[in-house]
Parts: sequence; C-alpha cells; structure tokens
Amino acid sequence: MRLLDIFLLSLSHVRKSRMRSWLTIVGVIIGVASVVAIISIGQGMQENVQQRLGSFGADIITVIPGYFRATGVHSEMHTDRSVSTSSSINLTDKDIKVIKQVPGVMYVNGLVSGKADLKYDNEKTVVSVTGVDTSIWRLMDTTGIDDGRYLQAGDSNSIVVGYNLAHGTFLQSMTLNRPITIGNKNFRVVGILKQSGGFGGGSDTGIYMPADLARDVITEKVSNNQFTSVVIKASDASLVEYIKADIEQKLMSSRQVNPRTKDFTVIASALIREQMSSVTETLSLFLSAIAAVSLIVGAIGIANTMFMSVMERTKQIGLLKAIGAGEQEIMKLFLIESGIFGFVGGIIGVIFGAAISLLIPYLGIQALGIGGDMRATITTGTILFALFFSLVIGILSGIIPARHAAKLRPVDAIRYDQ
Amino acid sequence: MNIIELDDVWKVYKMGEVEVPALRGLSMKVKPGEFLAVMGPSGSGKSTAMNMIGCLDIPTKGRVLLEGQNISSLSERELSRIRGKKIGFVFQSHNLYPTLNALENVQLPMRIHELREEDIWDRSEELLELVGLSKRGRHYPSQLSGGQSQRVAIARALSTDPSLILADEPTGNLDTEAGKEVLDIFSKLNARGVTVVMITHDEKIAARANQIVRMVDGKLAA
Ligand SMILES: Nc1ncnc2c1ncn2[C@@H]1O[C@H](COP(=O)(O)OP(=O)(O)OP(=O)(O)O)[C@@H](O)[C@H]1O
Ligand SMILES: [Mg+2]
Repeated sequence: MRLLDIFLLSLSHVRKSRMRSWLTIVGVIIGVASVVAIISIGQGMQENVQQRLGSFGADIITVIPGYFRATGVHSEMHTDRSVSTSSSINLTDKDIKVIKQVPGVMYVNGLVSGKADLKYDNEKTVVSVTGVDTSIWRLMDTTGIDDGRYLQAGDSNSIVVGYNLAHGTFLQSMTLNRPITIGNKNFRVVGILKQSGGFGGGSDTGIYMPADLARDVITEKVSNNQFTSVVIKASDASLVEYIKADIEQKLMSSRQVNPRTKDFTVIASALIREQMSSVTETLSLFLSAIAAVSLIVGAIGIANTMFMSVMERTKQIGLLKAIGAGEQEIMKLFLIESGIFGFVGGIIGVIFGAAISLLIPYLGIQALGIGGDMRATITTGTILFALFFSLVIGILSGIIPARHAAKLRPVDAIRYDQ
Repeated sequence: MNIIELDDVWKVYKMGEVEVPALRGLSMKVKPGEFLAVMGPSGSGKSTAMNMIGCLDIPTKGRVLLEGQNISSLSERELSRIRGKKIGFVFQSHNLYPTLNALENVQLPMRIHELREEDIWDRSEELLELVGLSKRGRHYPSQLSGGQSQRVAIARALSTDPSLILADEPTGNLDTEAGKEVLDIFSKLNARGVTVVMITHDEKIAARANQIVRMVDGKLAA
C-alpha cells in the first residue's frame, strides 16, 4: 500500500472519532506548550543574565582587599564599595607594581571608590565616586563616552559622570562644564558616559575622577598610595584563569601572606559569568524536566487512545489483512495515526507555548532575584525541537499498540464478537 | 487445475488443556467456474473450513493447495498478498470499513495492491454500477442498508479480479428481498466465469448454487 493511501486511511480514523482525537491532542498540546514556554523563558533568563554581566568584559580581573572564601556574585556586585570586613587593609602602589609584572597583564588601574556628598543646582545627594588612573581608564573603559571626553593626565578638577546621573537624577540635566560640588570641592563635568545598562548599573550612576582627588572627597579614609580595588585587563580573555592564579601567587608572596592569612581576593568576571550561566542553565533544565513530565502524560494519552482503537478495530484489522494488507502496513497505519496526534498537538502546542512566552514580559514578573524584567526568547531551534520531539513521542507511544495490531491473525480478528 | 483443494485437513483448537477438533480430515475441491454451497449444522466446522479455503488460517494437519501451491510453504506476508489478489471475501457482517465511504471501500483492496490510480477509479465506479449502487458511492457504511452494505462488500471482493469469491452466510442478516438481490449478483458473476463458494444455513438459498456439499462433524457428510 502506498504511504499516501495509508496516511489517508489513518486520517479517516482520526476524523471519524473527532472528540477522542482532539482530547488526545489536547494532552500533547499542554505538554508541548509548557515545554516551549519554559525553554523560551529559560533562554530569556540566560540572555538577561549574560547581558547584565556582559559589560564587565571577559578579560577583566579585579583585586579587592579582604578575603572571601566564597567568591560569589555578591562580592562582584559591590567592588565599588569599600569592602567591609577588612577595609583597613588597602591595596597599595607596591601591589600594583607586582601585578604589572605578571605576564599577560595589559593594563592595571588602581581604583579609589567610595561615597561622597554631591551638590548640584541646589539639590543634594550621595553618589558613588570612583577615582581612576586617568591614563589607563580611557583604555579600559567599555562603556564609551556619550558627550565630551575622557579624563586626561593633568585634569585637576574634572569629572566624568554616568549617563543616568547626568540625565534623570536631577531636575536639571547635567551638561558639559556645569559646576558641581563634591565633598566641598568644586568640579567641572568634562564628559558624560553612555548608558551601559550593566549589572547593578554601577557606571550609569557613578562619578569618575582622578584617584588623587577621589581620596580627598570620599567619606571613607584612603591614604595616599592606597587603593580600594585594582582592575586588570588581560591581554587575552582565554588566559584569564591563569593570569588570575599568577596574580594571586605573586601578591601572596609580596604581601607575605599564606592561603590561610590571605587578605585580598582576585575575581575574574568571566568565571563568575560562567558560574551564573551554569546556575541559570541548571534552573531552566530543571524547569524543562518538570514540563517534560506533562509531555510524558501526553504521550501516555496517545498510547491509551491507540490501544483503545486497536481493540475497537480488531475487525477492521482482520478485514485489511484478509484483503491483502501485511503487518508492515498495519504497523504504519497505526504509527501514522499516533504520529498525527503528536504532530498536530506539537504544532498547536508550539503556537500556545510561543503565545505564553510572548505574554511573559507583559505580566511584569520579576526574574528570580536577578533583577530586571523576565522575558522569553523563542528560537527556531526550540520550535523545530518541539515539533520533532512531539512527532517522535507520537510515534513512540504508538509503537506498542501498533505492534499489537500488526500481530493479530486475520482469523482471530474476523471472528471477534461474531 | 483446482482453484482450491483441501486434502485431509485437520484443525484442532486448543482451549487450555482441552482440544477442540473443528475439522477432522476434511477433503474437498473447488473447480474453476463452480457455484458451490456449503451447508451443515451449527458447529459442524463451516466457518473453519472457509478460513482454510480462504487461506486465513493454516491447518493443524493436512494440505491446502491454492492453485496447486501448498500454502504452508508461504510466509504470512506472501500469503496475505496472494489472498488479497486471488480471493474476494464477503463476510457475514461488519464487512465494510466504517471510516471509508462505499466507493473508498471498493477501492481499498486495489490501493493495498497498489494499482494505478486511474484504474482504481475506473474499476471502482464500474463495480458499484454492477451491484447497482453507483448513486451511493459517497455514502458511509452507517448510511447504507444491510443489503446495500453486502452489495458494496461484493463489489469490493471483486475489485482485485479474484478467481474465487468466498462468502460466509452473505444473506444471513438480510430479508428475503435483499438476500435475493445478493444472490442475483452471485449468479450473474458465476455466469461470467467467477467461482463462488457460499456458506449458508438456508436450503432455499443453497438451491441457487449449482452444487451443494454438506458438512457434519468437521468433514463432508458421506
Ligand atoms: N477460535 C476458536 N477456538 C476454539 N474453538 C473454536 C474456535 N473457532 C471455532 N471453534 C470450534 O470449532 C467448532 C466449529 O466451529 P465453526 O465456527 O467452524 O462452526 P460453523 O459450522 O461455522 O457453525 P455456525 O453455523 O454456527 O457458524 C465449534 O465447536 C467451535 O466451538
Ligand atoms: Mg460459522
């Protein structure tokens, strides 16, 4: 029998018992829709995290004072604050010299970060100030200048401000050359950064100035030659792990500490990003597994329907065999039928799943503690996977009933309930 | 050559420990062009005999020769093919494929045997015409009367141009008038050279055949 004819025969059965067919298909729809929605949400979540972490750059290594056993996201998020546990032990010029000698290190920027009072246009607020090495900062900055210029060597009262601080924090937007008072000193805005949208929004709300000036204006006490953190750019992102280990080694010997008395922490953003994405990956895998359960339920639904129709159709199977159909053809007849259930359920399920995913941002659900809106990313890969998978599930759940049908002997099939 | 020859055929059904011999050394021949009626009391093994003649089952013992070829030498698949080509079945009831309309039912064996699409359509319409149902082609089995269903089944049985039509109580469910129509078709076919084997309880119906055999206890009555 030609495949098309077998297909049409299968279709005639699907159409004949409409109600049952649809109920079977609904089972698949629910499964596929939830899998598609969850995969899409998971992917959206991962992209979200990646984007937020992305502004750190894969080739950046940060050294902060104090030792954190668990180098989690937390310490990364707050490098601009002086680290509480051991803020007295600051990093020094000497440390920077040591780091500069580590092979693979391209730039080293000693930062002095802290809080400072700011007065602008009769409005007051507290801002985070980052003192930088003016000659290095421009080379390492990934945010970019929106207006004006970067800091230069010799700048004495110049600052660069983050985009959100310039636009939106005060009634009157900051513009170039506007006078600003920070910690009782007068400054002039020479540049405004682009919006980075980065993790924690650090550069968007901060103020950048030469490190020497920062020591004077911030409320925290940082003596000359000391830094609250050191940011290092590696010559090659793939070497970050080795460079990090090397820095750790060299700093330990120059500071004369051992792993137990270690008083600094080296953080590589790339590694954290990997950790983060493995967390979100695990999370979405876990959610997908839950969704897969409903797919299995859908598959059982198909198998159940197929078994029922094999029972009901013993006579027809016998008839087909009596008039010349072989086991192969009976097999195909039932497999195509269950495949139709799977595939149709898959198509509709994908549509529903995509619709649910698209609705997610409008629901305004906050991503699980990561901040920012939840969103879903539907890829063609996901759709094709879902369609293929539902077809396979349909066929697989039809195999046992189909074999059962194919093995029926024509005599037994015909005499059934005669 | 005989179309079908049963040679000392035994069929023993095993029901757990108990063995039920349905056929006990049945021997018979069906010659080309015959219109044969098989009669016998209930339980005498007529349907079992028909399964053997129709190659739907294999004997426990003895030989079944289909056009001289022993069917036990064939695989299930070959048997299925040959059966579909050479024998047309008309069962007592539930003959038609319920999800297909009358025309599609007639076409089904031809589709199984992968005939040319054109031939399938020409022949199916021609056959419905022959059984007087050309206006009912689009009707589904549930929309046909018992007699009409039986005639569609006959049209289907003829579609692969078989050398033998095998009918198990084809008029069992029909009233006298509808039964007569079915028998008229058999007579017409037989007149055209088609061999017909028909199982029946009814003496009057058997009288329409040109030969009658009687079965008792799984073999022909002496
Ligand atoms: N599949 C089976 N399993 C066990 N016993 C069977 C089976 N089929 C038939 N028999 C037995 O074989 C014997 C002959 O049955 P068969 O159906 O051939 O009779 P029949 O002549 O067609 O009767 P009827 O006129 O009532 O249709 C009966 O005793 C029956 O019980
Ligand atoms: Mg019988």
